[in-house]
Amino acid sequence: MAATTMELGAGATGYRPTATRLAHPWLSLNVITAFLGAAAGYGIGHWIGNYIASNYAVVQNTGQNNVAVVLALFFGVLGFVAGIGGLNYPILKIFGRQPEERAPVQDWTKYFRFSTDHKVVGKQYLVGVIGMFFIGGLFAMAIRTELTNPNTHFFAPDIYLQIVSEHGTIMMMMATSLVVGPLGNFLVPLMIGSRRMAFPRLEAISFWIFLCGLMVILTALPLGGFDTGWTGYAPLQTEAAPGMDAYLVGFGTIGTGMILNGFNQIVTIVNYRAPGMRWSRLPIFVWSMLATSFLLTLATPVLFVAGWFGVLDRTAQTAFYVNTHGGSSYLWENLFWFFGHPEVYIMAIPGFGLVGEMLPVFTRKPLFAYRVGAAGMFGVALLSFFVWQHHLFVSGINPDMRPVFMLTTELISIPTGFIYLIGMGTLWRARIRFTVPMMFCLAMYFNFLIGGITGVYNSDVPVDVTIHGSFFVMAHFHYTIMGGLLFAFFGAVYYYTPLFTGKMLNNTLAKIHFWWMFIAFNFTFFPLFIVGFLGMPRRVFEYAPRLQVLNDWASASAYLLGMSFLVFAVNFVWSVWVDPRPAPANPWQSLGLEWQLPAYKMPWYNFERLPIILSDPYHYGEREALPVAHLQGVLALAGAGAGGGLAPVGAVGPGPGPETAPPGGQADGEDQRR
Amino acid sequence: MSDVSQLLDPAAEEEYEIESTEGGLWTGSRLFVGLFTMAWSGVAFAYFYLRAIDRSGQWDPHHLTPPPVIGTLIALCVLLGAFMLEYGRHQLRRGLRFEWLTAAWLTALFGAIAGGFQIWQLTRLPFYPGEYGYTSVFIGFAPLNVAMVLGGAYWVETIAARSIRLRVEVGPDVHLGESEHAAARHLRASLAGCNFYWWFMVLVSLLFWILFYVVD
Amino acid sequence: MSHVEPPSEHPGDGRVARGANMPHFARLFAIWLLGTAIVEPVLYFLVWPHIPPGTMTDAARGAQFDALVLTMMASPVVIAVLEYFVYAMVVWHQKKGEPPEDGPPIWGHVGIQAGWIGITSAIVMGAFVFGTYELINTAGSGGGEGPSPIWTPAETNDMLTVQVIGQQWLWTYRYPQFGGFETPELILPNHTKIAFHVTSLDVIHDFWAYQLGVKADANPNVDNVAFATTNETGRFTVRCDELCGIWHGAMYNYGYIVSPTTFYKWATSTEKKLSPLTKILPKFAWTYNPSANGAGGGYYPASDAFYQVYKYEYGTSGKEGNLPAVHVKPSGWKPSQAGSHHVRER
Repeated sequence: MAATTMELGAGATGYRPTATRLAHPWLSLNVITAFLGAAAGYGIGHWIGNYIASNYAVVQNTGQNNVAVVLALFFGVLGFVAGIGGLNYPILKIFGRQPEERAPVQDWTKYFRFSTDHKVVGKQYLVGVIGMFFIGGLFAMAIRTELTNPNTHFFAPDIYLQIVSEHGTIMMMMATSLVVGPLGNFLVPLMIGSRRMAFPRLEAISFWIFLCGLMVILTALPLGGFDTGWTGYAPLQTEAAPGMDAYLVGFGTIGTGMILNGFNQIVTIVNYRAPGMRWSRLPIFVWSMLATSFLLTLATPVLFVAGWFGVLDRTAQTAFYVNTHGGSSYLWENLFWFFGHPEVYIMAIPGFGLVGEMLPVFTRKPLFAYRVGAAGMFGVALLSFFVWQHHLFVSGINPDMRPVFMLTTELISIPTGFIYLIGMGTLWRARIRFTVPMMFCLAMYFNFLIGGITGVYNSDVPVDVTIHGSFFVMAHFHYTIMGGLLFAFFGAVYYYTPLFTGKMLNNTLAKIHFWWMFIAFNFTFFPLFIVGFLGMPRRVFEYAPRLQVLNDWASASAYLLGMSFLVFAVNFVWSVWVDPRPAPANPWQSLGLEWQLPAYKMPWYNFERLPIILSDPYHYGEREALPVAHLQGVLALAGAGAGGGLAPVGAVGPGPGPETAPPGGQADGEDQRR
Repeated sequence: MSDVSQLLDPAAEEEYEIESTEGGLWTGSRLFVGLFTMAWSGVAFAYFYLRAIDRSGQWDPHHLTPPPVIGTLIALCVLLGAFMLEYGRHQLRRGLRFEWLTAAWLTALFGAIAGGFQIWQLTRLPFYPGEYGYTSVFIGFAPLNVAMVLGGAYWVETIAARSIRLRVEVGPDVHLGESEHAAARHLRASLAGCNFYWWFMVLVSLLFWILFYVVD
Repeated sequence: MSHVEPPSEHPGDGRVARGANMPHFARLFAIWLLGTAIVEPVLYFLVWPHIPPGTMTDAARGAQFDALVLTMMASPVVIAVLEYFVYAMVVWHQKKGEPPEDGPPIWGHVGIQAGWIGITSAIVMGAFVFGTYELINTAGSGGGEGPSPIWTPAETNDMLTVQVIGQQWLWTYRYPQFGGFETPELILPNHTKIAFHVTSLDVIHDFWAYQLGVKADANPNVDNVAFATTNETGRFTVRCDELCGIWHGAMYNYGYIVSPTTFYKWATSTEKKLSPLTKILPKFAWTYNPSANGAGGGYYPASDAFYQVYKYEYGTSGKEGNLPAVHVKPSGWKPSQAGSHHVRER
């Protein structure tokens, strides 16, 4: 092996491609070999499992036992990761080798490979999470279909519970990675001026493992599903069909991906900031990624262990959750919610960050009380570790701790309120531009207000006695996660698609999507608060006939809500692939560093030379403000491409002044091709 | 204001990125320990929780433990490995390549032996997994412990292998303990993280050794 | 330049004078005051009586009142935020035809930030203090408090004990003060303190007597106690509120609160009628171990296990006679014991 600086993986030159020699695309590892690996792994695992435990068939003569299912899924995941090339580096390391830091495959097949380019991983995640969201959404449509009638059934009760459980689990998994995956991986290095994520191979693995997790969860269906909901409470979990193994292994798999992703984000943000990127200049979105990543990294291991215990209970016949053998079903409830509540904030904080990032752009004002906003996110993150028993107010454990958990839960609304403070402060005497992303931001504030206020009802023990486990809770967390995170996410998709792809999404369709989604969302979930308060428990397929009108209303609205995403899908496919319209550079006149870069056509190592960060990206309305960074020479794209796609930021208003334009940016030239 | 001279010169930029990677290894290893701490607290929580509520009087296996000699050997191996790695790191700083490599391989060996013992112990248990709460927690603990110590062994092994290969790549006379070569610096950063992780393993091993074999 | 500086270092807005803030504040405050002045009386006078879960027990009434208080605390906040957003959208948007401009560079305001934190903290602490008061005041407000409740009704001698047993997918009830008969009917006397002892034979269920404001998880091997004092006669719904398997959705029935004398008649006659069955039932216990080998595929008292729990929680004597007051020794209950417990009106 030739000794070059490049292979030592160090130094400025190390991350830039030198001569690269690519294997033939069809002979190197890709998603097809990954599936072959998964199939092989599944077979091997199943065989080993039957070798060990064929006497313990779940149903006689089926050859299906829990050991075989667990091992098959585990080896299947392992085979997939090996097949995509995720194990190459760990194996090379045994022999003391470093991988060659060479350019990843450049043609379209890079999206189906183990790519260490954070921008490619971001796009892979984007397609992955949206696909997962649509799959989960179809299950939601099925749920609402069943609930159109209080006692006439579309599905058998077991099928219905499988649908409910799949919907919950898939959506929860999707939502944990919804922002950290695509936007975190794509944007964080660009925002902090880094050439890469700290551990690019871990980054790639985290995506493929995430995808494996989805597939593992879906294998539950042919295995008979699982009927515990996404919470998987224990005695039911222990005695459930083999589909339960898919739930446990799936959560473990996706949990691993979450840990790796969060781990990578933290190390990147802490260590890979460009010169001059002080903590006080960090974009608020990066702060939110940091807070979220701490939760991902530190809370998910607990879920992993809880799931591991569950797997052992079902295979090795331990008794962690078996009351009569020295275990306790409360153990699962505690461990699960110790992860589960931070997880809720894993889904909320990125939404806060996105909104905080977009508001200044569309209000043309600095972010109000930036430090308070960042502190709020960390306050939420920290407190979220101390609230888990509010899910167990009526479970019979620790009644003496109830006031404490009521207090910590209600305290969380203080740092959450900071998000409203920064939003409302930024709106003060602003110049609001009602672009589609801005409308999503405002809608997020509206929805999260309802979600947050109803959260206080849940935290209050006397009221919670009535609404615990009812549709009220269900509506509450749909308002926070879907109304909060999903709205912020779709706003960000409209906002960042020009950066991701260089294409503009159609504005009319976008507006239709927004209004359709916003109205249908509120029509769907607001009545469900009432339904819950009137006594309808979650996850039931029969309910009181007096609640039918509200339920039918919600079902009809839910179909509309589902259809609104078709508008988005059509818009996305049409505007990006069918009839692409090149986006102007920096179409929103943002001051953020990422918008000064033509991200969609930047090389995999991003910068020829590291940028020097000069200021935070929120100096709207200040004529004398410095540009966010020195960029000359930073982008040495082929020929005129350099800064060519970049319009001067100051062109639209007196705003920050012409200095903010990337130095050397030739506003004409390539810009004119539109 | 926007001339190239305000950018870092290439040498400074190279230094900046080397430091980023070093810092990344430092942060990463500490964070790694952090996430393992959370995972082990899950196990420890199960231990204390089940022990405390003892729902059906089935926590206590009445002085039944997994073979204590093997258990002690496992903890001892981890402890020895940590000391050995500390020693090896010291020798690396002094530039004694042979001593460093020997210590590193021994550390990896100790890790492998600890993992092997743990697996062996699992085959020699005087109880069934679900017999008591205690036994359940032990069955939950042991495979995770195997993963932890084998992971530690793997980490040391990769560093040792890397330092052998560096002799080929960088040159045979490089003083790995002092070289400013990027690869050597990253090797040292990784080694520091690994060393930290091994001491963490010592803490975990001692804690669970006390919980499983000492505490009644 | 450092990031967030006090406003003074950001001279910023040269276009609008500082005093330009005041009209906005004044208008916003006026609208808020008006909205609040309209909404709060509506909530208090019109909405309160209709807030679930009604007034059938003291626990329900407490939950209802608590929900009212929370709503009255939340409404001004909601009004303020919504009003602010609408106002901002209407007043502070980029007007058509005007040249696009940036807004004033306002980076923060120490007073506003401090005030915000202060006000939200005060609201939160208020909600916490009131919620805790309400929780203790109504003896756990109908929530399951586990085997050793810490908030109990003041007098427990005259309490009616009802054991609620959940199993897939059925609720049954045992009345230890009437020989421990077991029935799928839940009948309760009016004006009586009830101790629900909720347990399960298999997985986790959740006993939700909706109109009673009672909810307690039914865990296997756990005696989860919840209290309520009945206040009105009538029918109420019982649902399972924790996913317990495929027929979870169908696991519901109805209970009735009747007058104490009616209840006594029903209980004594049912006790007599069911006595042959009660004999072959497992002896009354606070929890049961399900077993496929029990008579008729049934279950038997988890006596050993129970005393283990018991020893841990109440000391070592291990005799039923020493049970704490809420674990009433199964003895008679007379209608004369009811009637003195009218839930106080608010």
